[in-house]
Amino acid sequence: MALGYNTITFNPDKCDGCGDCMRACSQAKAGTDDPVHSRIQILANETPSTGEQQSPIEMAMCRQCGDPKCVSNCPAAALSKDLSSGTIDWDSSKCVNCLLCTVGCAFGGITYNVEVGHVTKCDTCDGNPACVKVCPHGALEYNTSGSVYTRIGDKEDLFVPGLSACQGCNSELLIRHTLRNVGSNVVVATPPGCIPGMGTVGYNGKTGTKVPVFHPLLTNTASMLAGIKKQYNRVGRDVTMLALAGDGGVGDVGFQSLSGAAERNEQQLFMCVDNEGYMNTGMQSSGSTPAGSWTSTTPVGKEMQGKRTDAKNMARIMMMHNCEYVATASLSFMDDYYDKLDKALAASKRGFAYLHVYAPCPTGWRFPAAETIEVCRKQVESNFVTLWEFTPDQGLQFTRSVDKPAPLADYLKQIGKYRHLNQDQIDHLQRRVDNQVKSLKAFEQTSAVS
Amino acid sequence: MTTIEKAITPDIDDSHYQSKTLVCDGNEAAAWGVALARPDVMAIYPITPQSSLVEYLSQFVAEGIIDAELMNVEGEHSVMSALQGAALAGARTYTATCGPGLAFMFEPYIRTPGLRLPMVASLVTRDTLTPQCVWGGHQDAMLVKEAGWIQMYCETVQEVLDTTTMAFRIGEHPDVMLPVNVNSDGNYLSYGATGIQLPAAPLVDAFMGEKNVNWHAALDPERPMAIDPLTGGAGGPGPSMFANYRKSQCDGMQNALRVIEETHKDWGDRIGRYYSPLVEEYRLDDADYALVTIGSMTGAAKDAVDLARDQGEAVGIIKIKTFRPFPVEAINRALSKVKAIGVVDRSVNFGWNCGPVYQETLAAAQRLQRFLPSASFIGGLAGSDITVEHFSQVIEDTAQLLKGHHYDEPIWINRND
Repeated sequence: MALGYNTITFNPDKCDGCGDCMRACSQAKAGTDDPVHSRIQILANETPSTGEQQSPIEMAMCRQCGDPKCVSNCPAAALSKDLSSGTIDWDSSKCVNCLLCTVGCAFGGITYNVEVGHVTKCDTCDGNPACVKVCPHGALEYNTSGSVYTRIGDKEDLFVPGLSACQGCNSELLIRHTLRNVGSNVVVATPPGCIPGMGTVGYNGKTGTKVPVFHPLLTNTASMLAGIKKQYNRVGRDVTMLALAGDGGVGDVGFQSLSGAAERNEQQLFMCVDNEGYMNTGMQSSGSTPAGSWTSTTPVGKEMQGKRTDAKNMARIMMMHNCEYVATASLSFMDDYYDKLDKALAASKRGFAYLHVYAPCPTGWRFPAAETIEVCRKQVESNFVTLWEFTPDQGLQFTRSVDKPAPLADYLKQIGKYRHLNQDQIDHLQRRVDNQVKSLKAFEQTSAVS
Repeated sequence: MTTIEKAITPDIDDSHYQSKTLVCDGNEAAAWGVALARPDVMAIYPITPQSSLVEYLSQFVAEGIIDAELMNVEGEHSVMSALQGAALAGARTYTATCGPGLAFMFEPYIRTPGLRLPMVASLVTRDTLTPQCVWGGHQDAMLVKEAGWIQMYCETVQEVLDTTTMAFRIGEHPDVMLPVNVNSDGNYLSYGATGIQLPAAPLVDAFMGEKNVNWHAALDPERPMAIDPLTGGAGGPGPSMFANYRKSQCDGMQNALRVIEETHKDWGDRIGRYYSPLVEEYRLDDADYALVTIGSMTGAAKDAVDLARDQGEAVGIIKIKTFRPFPVEAINRALSKVKAIGVVDRSVNFGWNCGPVYQETLAAAQRLQRFLPSASFIGGLAGSDITVEHFSQVIEDTAQLLKGHHYDEPIWINRND
């Protein structure tokens, strides 16, 4: 059985050491502000400098380890890992106060409290941690992605191993997760691009997918799925229609058939895997390529400094079609993605559902393959990508706060295709991000019907 | 199973198996031909001069005469795409288009034969832009003659109905598995009204037999497979695999010649109307020379030939019904009876400065291993009429070939109208 758990995460870059979390913990656990009772300790970083830049602040708290040394050190079986929640429980009736557990822990996560006379440790407040709620800077977050793996880890991977996606590509990750959750009663459409390029539909008679899958044209994915669905409805069979399309097959040549299918409310889940250009064929520019981006058709030279015009925002355009369900998602926020995937699948039984998943491309955008998920995360934290969902009744709702974003420049500097940007270009992109958020917020206020 | 019976024969009695007389134009006749074939999914987008055809289909669905999914999509490109999807899920599918609509449809259109999907698409033929025009001509259909679709050209409104229904059975034959264009001349057949016979539905049902359009390629969770993996390249199994796909497609096309003949014969035996399925010979057995025609122009050509025969001219007609696959043997059987031909086209082959039917006919004739004097006539472009008088002139010009005259260029029929 696959196990993954919710966890408290700490970003020292956002922490100013205010201590609100410690006071909240002490209040929750001992009814006092005295930080001695806090199971989270924010400390000055006293680790000897290694020469690399390091945060001045660090955190001591139980990590709820998968292979907990505190548990294995305990001679009295007072510590044990709860396999349903993932937390490490301490049983006061068994503890013999030997403190061997504190020796085993490398994180300062279980410590002797002189006031109460025994060890204390974080129990995550039963999944509703007090410290996270009071953190004014977003340095502490309660990350629920891990539970996704517990939920879907045992489901069959319907994508064969050994496909030829680039190193660090998140599309393969996305497909494996998606197909696991969608199951086998599905027809999958993958128009030309990275997704079939990695072998989804296969080569020379061999396939990369264990469910019915096909190459539509780059231009007609939504229409082909619509026709398939019509015939299954006619013969009384409930089969899921799923498109996994790149941004060119969605917003450029694929747009007419997509818009028509949305207008007709065809029953399908259409997913855009947006890597901001034609990455499969050598990184050419598309309508989804942001202004300033280097691509092989918007190069950088004396007369041109990357793409001259802004990207179109396909998710917003699809929202204006008033589809059954429209949402944006990022693979750095998997629990959010799974929640939206479930909703989109349910909506696709009623009509047209559209999911826009942002897919940073290490090869085409020029960043190290190991940083894909980090780039995804920075897209969201800077508001370059906003996470929201839309239904005709409820209107637009953000699923992650867009307040207090990180500066866009922090995101841009991580990516090679923006390396040449001058300050004017950076300011332009920052203004565009700010304006997008402003208008989405305005729409959030006005779009709900009920 | 009640839908068409209700429309055609309200009471289940002896009249159930009687045909019914209708007065209608070619577009309505095509719609009745579709109704008799009982399609599952139809996708439509209107375009002149096809529009009334899809209006009839919509009306038939609204009235319950046709029990099918009707998809009103946003353009011809999606029409063809939706039908491919439906066919891969097992549906019998139909649409109609022409001219610019066919041009817009081209990308998915050329893929249907490669997927070996039986499908029927009427082409209510229209001349192509530019000059901007909305009237009949064969240029649209001729532009797609190498796309891999079977193409049959109709001469009459009755033939439009009968051929439309037959086309489903031809395309779905397991030895063929190809899409079929039933071509009817825009304006002349689309809007020309005449009395026709509507066959009784039970007879047509027996004629049609069982449907199985996706036994070879399906998008079905109960039979999971990948449709259209990347195939080809210079190494591995790709080259031979691709070549064999193409060859089998050509084989299907050649098999269609036999299946078209068998299907027309069976239609005649059951319904009572026989057609020359590939090539019709008209007053040819004792002819010295012949006109080669295609489509509705043949009616006027027959009248002109009758008049010429009255004047003692030994002229006949070779009418091509099946243009794809090109019926080489049937054409050559006919050509072997004459000493010269005048081929009349309603479209242009720009590269050869002649008509495409002319070019194709000469390509077949080279297998006769004798020189066949010939002339290319081009007329009926953009809705212009090729009258009996025009054909009388064509006969006169063609007769000159017997006296050793040679034409370096095509003769433009309507150029001085």
